[in-house]
Amino acid sequence: MRHPVSTLLLLGSLAGPLLGLLAGCATPPPASDPDALADYKATDDPLEPTNRVFYKINNGLDTYLLRPLALGYRDVVPRPVRNGVHNVLVNLSTPVTLTNDMLEGKPRRAGDTTMRFLINTTLGGLGIFDVATGMGYAAHDADFGISMALWGVPSGPFLFLPILGPSNPRDAIGFGVDNGLLDPFNWLGQGTVVLVLTWSRFPISAIDTRSRLLDEIDQIKKTALDPYATFRSLYRQHRASQIETVRNDNRATVPVWFPQPAHPADDAGH
Amino acid sequence: MIARRTLLTTTLHWAGASAVLLVLPAPLRRAWAMPSGQEATAFVRQTAQRLTAVVNGSMSIAEKRRAMAQIIDSAVDVDGVGTFCLGRFWRAATPDQQKAYLGLFHEVLVTSITGHLGEYSGVKVTVGRATPSGDTQHVASVVERPNNAPADVEWVISDTSGSPKIVDVIAEGTSLRLTQRSDYASFLSQHGNNVAALISAMRQQVAQNG
Repeated sequence: MRHPVSTLLLLGSLAGPLLGLLAGCATPPPASDPDALADYKATDDPLEPTNRVFYKINNGLDTYLLRPLALGYRDVVPRPVRNGVHNVLVNLSTPVTLTNDMLEGKPRRAGDTTMRFLINTTLGGLGIFDVATGMGYAAHDADFGISMALWGVPSGPFLFLPILGPSNPRDAIGFGVDNGLLDPFNWLGQGTVVLVLTWSRFPISAIDTRSRLLDEIDQIKKTALDPYATFRSLYRQHRASQIETVRNDNRATVPVWFPQPAHPADDAGH
Repeated sequence: MIARRTLLTTTLHWAGASAVLLVLPAPLRRAWAMPSGQEATAFVRQTAQRLTAVVNGSMSIAEKRRAMAQIIDSAVDVDGVGTFCLGRFWRAATPDQQKAYLGLFHEVLVTSITGHLGEYSGVKVTVGRATPSGDTQHVASVVERPNNAPADVEWVISDTSGSPKIVDVIAEGTSLRLTQRSDYASFLSQHGNNVAALISAMRQQVAQNG
């Protein structure tokens, strides 16, 4: 029996694309206007009318619910406490990050994640303090969307999902897999405590993320002529850059703390 | 034989090209070459020093804005970036529209940067290495602000205007000019590809934020 949150998330991640298919599609420009057609193809947003409807709904939810909550959180809770909450959330996501580091085939990144977990859970007081970053094990991104991208799965067209925001079929499925299957919190037994913890982690995480983006999102909404298109562009560029960062991280697998293999020339000479 | 002919034609090409280069006036001659990595990093380091000196300095906000606008004018290829951001609509615009657009683009750029001076106090920029890309150099840097995680910022430097200028800033993998271009393109496609509509929207924006 799966937990309610994960079921909800899994359903949510699948409902978005389905709703999109049922609702309106954008009309491609005629072939007589090659520039406009090229733009249309480059934008790759065939469900734009539906996406814009969800953008409006999410924007309303954000304006009247999430943003005020995040503002209140930032004003009321002192910074050290907020940092502690953030660090605990990151530490709790270790299993998902570690699994995806391995699915990406990046052992050094998996090693970094393991070291972070061991150091921060002990020296960092159950993950409240991020001491690992100072020791050379900085946090990094890994999720099932990135893993699938490295396996060559195409992203598919742009999607704007209810609640979850900018995405695409690959990232939506990735989100469902990360939260519904890979997260061991779904495998814990049942009971009031487990239920409360599972249900509270998602909203806390949402408020934490939103509070860290307050200035950036305000700035975009203030300066963009078409915020929807700006968020679409930023989301795509950001994901592409995350994927490239992982792809290009090809550090050798021997960690610095491990005795380095002796240089062959040294062996021969002495 | 073939090898010799190739060598000969190559030599002739080079001779011809050098002759053309010698005849060209200095600013145009520079436009042919892309900035060297050293030139680009030195330029970014110098610009970053000027920017941080203004942002962390003790001048009044009004003075800081004026100083900042001067740095933007001298270090950023504003017209080049503006033309890029309008994309295919640049050719569709009339000369008057092009002029009005570039003027507004300049104002939008300056107000959006100077409007956030307060948030950037205590900023520190560490300039890294340059990587050539096309006819530009991408200079890496790490921007640190108090209470913020360090951000990777890449400065894209081009020589096409005659001297090294910033043509793009890539913050955490997102290009400012690409984002701006997609914003304008989408606005235009929602408004019947009418450049006049974009210009009036920009005018309104400047009036609100400026």
